[in-house]
Amino acid sequence: MEFNENQTAAIAAPKPAVSVEKPELINGSHALIRSLIAEGIETIFGYPGGAIMPVYDAIYDYQTEIEHILVRHEQGAAHAAEGYARVSGKTGVCLVTSGPGATNLVTGIADAIIDSTPMVCIVGQVASHLLGTDAFQETDVIGITVPITKWNYQVTRADEIPEIIAKAFYIAGSGRPGPVLIDITKNAQQELMSKAFSYKKCETLISYRPRIAPKQDQVEAAAKLINEAKRPFVFFGHGVQIAGAEKELLQFIEKTDVPAASTLLGLSCVSVDHPNYVGWLGMHGNYGTNVLTNQCDVVIAIGMRFDDRVTGDVSRYAKQAKIIHIEIDPAEIDKIIKADAPVVGDAKRALEMLLPLVKENNHEAWRAEFKKYDVIEDEKITQPELAPTTEKIKMAEVIRQLSDKTKGEAVVLADVGQHQMMTARYYQFKKPGSFITSGGLGTMGYALPAAFGAKVGAPDREVVAFIGDGCFQMTIQELGTIAQKGLPVKIIILNNNFLGMVRQWQQLFHQKRYSFVELQNPDFITIAKGFGIDGHTCASRDNLNESLDKLLASDKPYLLEVLVEKEENVFPMVPTGACVADIRLA
Amino acid sequence: MTTYTICVFTENTIGILNKITTVLTRRRINIESLTVSETERKGISRFTIVIHHESREAVEKLVRQIRKVVEVLAVFGYLNDDIAYNEIALFKISTPIGAKPIDIETINKVYKAWVVYWHLTYVIIQKTGTEEEIFEFFDYIKPHEILEFVRSGRVAVSKSPQTLVDYLPEAEWEYYQ
Repeated sequence: MEFNENQTAAIAAPKPAVSVEKPELINGSHALIRSLIAEGIETIFGYPGGAIMPVYDAIYDYQTEIEHILVRHEQGAAHAAEGYARVSGKTGVCLVTSGPGATNLVTGIADAIIDSTPMVCIVGQVASHLLGTDAFQETDVIGITVPITKWNYQVTRADEIPEIIAKAFYIAGSGRPGPVLIDITKNAQQELMSKAFSYKKCETLISYRPRIAPKQDQVEAAAKLINEAKRPFVFFGHGVQIAGAEKELLQFIEKTDVPAASTLLGLSCVSVDHPNYVGWLGMHGNYGTNVLTNQCDVVIAIGMRFDDRVTGDVSRYAKQAKIIHIEIDPAEIDKIIKADAPVVGDAKRALEMLLPLVKENNHEAWRAEFKKYDVIEDEKITQPELAPTTEKIKMAEVIRQLSDKTKGEAVVLADVGQHQMMTARYYQFKKPGSFITSGGLGTMGYALPAAFGAKVGAPDREVVAFIGDGCFQMTIQELGTIAQKGLPVKIIILNNNFLGMVRQWQQLFHQKRYSFVELQNPDFITIAKGFGIDGHTCASRDNLNESLDKLLASDKPYLLEVLVEKEENVFPMVPTGACVADIRLA
Repeated sequence: MTTYTICVFTENTIGILNKITTVLTRRRINIESLTVSETERKGISRFTIVIHHESREAVEKLVRQIRKVVEVLAVFGYLNDDIAYNEIALFKISTPIGAKPIDIETINKVYKAWVVYWHLTYVIIQKTGTEEEIFEFFDYIKPHEILEFVRSGRVAVSKSPQTLVDYLPEAEWEYYQ
């Protein structure tokens, strides 16, 4: 018989006077799954392996309560969990084995931290007695993920599991959301808990207290600046969507009549046809939004972090304006742009507190200035993209046609590169929570797994992923996951046989020295068919309308490859290090 | 370059050192010294980190980034004038037979240093003080041949009458008796 501390305690304990029913003792793996169920988790994205096998054995018993989706590569699990979280507002969960299973998650975790995506990654680890011995598939995943997780922890005893899982979900989903990694040794998965399983959700931690409600004096200072402003300008970002503050944002911009522009991840929080919506900010954003950033007198930044792709050269960024920064993460205040009126707190609560303090206003003349720039942008860029005279199909016309056909209401994913920027520019977002892309990390290969994650998170919505030919080949194997689950994800490959954005930079800044950016692509449709996914290629503008109809008519996953113009550039553009007001139209 | 002392109060968990130092290393900030020990409160560790930096603003940002680490309870950044601080140094000094004897009276009275171990051929002298005071003594004792020299990280407490409990009054701390 194996001798352990628990048994010693049992021997030492006095015998009860009357016999009582023994509590059911479960092992760590069952405790983990029951904890996930108690947390309300319905779906896990994962991949089994040696060090997580006891957990997979336990899942087998809970298949009616919790769905497990078998990905084809752990990176896919991470991105799928991200897509799921971004569309549902819930925390995504991935489950993988130790060593390579864990390291394959790393890109997805890094992606989730920079885009504030709530995710709990559960990783198998070698048994405690093997830690530090370079055992088979042992990796110091805790050490590896310190800089890219909101929190991580190694569990070595089954008894720890319920409390740590509760803590993990609380940290991942509260405040500024982010990824949490829990590494569980194999012995902790296998051993019995010493007491009956019970689960209590975590609601507070002594060392972690996100400030949800802003301080009244901060809100009042912000309101004063807004009420005195002649040319105020709202920048809204991902924090608005995370806080579910879309309605409050609308009320705010309508009451104050302030023009409002979006960051990349803020897109879809305000409908493009709202009279106060003036476009998109940053490197490939709109002409007027960038130029007028340097002419407004008050910036009201809500749930955004002044990313360098938004600001360009910070020494020449909105210097004339007072800055109000509404942000849940205090570390973001003054990080890039000094705030005159910081408001630390959740965007929804901040706007709720601001609304009664701001005056009704009329900024029609100021808003009209954006229109002047829109006319120029429309003439020089938008219309030539949407109604081209060239033979080859342009990315913009594919995206706009799809936008029209879905009435701007689909969940749209974009991978990373030119097609991403084109999607952000030309899809006409009408409904909140509709745009999912890798903003901060710029992870090629993100969209395909994130798309099926999003479909799981929003099964009643049309989910369409725009993917470049380079990106598609980074996670192409996830077609297998989509096919196996029969998830009706619509995939549009915008194929220009190039790593388009790199080629654009090489053209503009490296004297057209196209260094290793041309791709010899496989037959994507044959590959899709090999996975059991139907699809076809559209090579001519004459067939585009019909091709998109066919894609959308399918009630199964479908792949549409569109052969687009080979050397197309995304404009407008603020080159790296340039001032936003110096945005280029060509 | 200005010297900053950053005091970090954390839960005492495995890996917390790595989590804190990562915040500095990814910003290419060198740690001049680092001292960690448990505080008067059980389970609460205190890190005293000394850095040199030319920008107070950057140090303030760093403090906020360290505060983001989940296990961190509080972080304070100080200039030298804000704190009482010291280091401890041990000098192993060669004392072979026939060599010039060391002047214990000067060591004790002038430099406030003490011999903590005698050997036939060497002594170990302990000196506490600021970095400047320690190196002043270093220069004095150098002619006697320093066999080994080690200096601890800085320990520091704020001159402010406020304590950690004033910043985290809701906590039910368990104190050492």
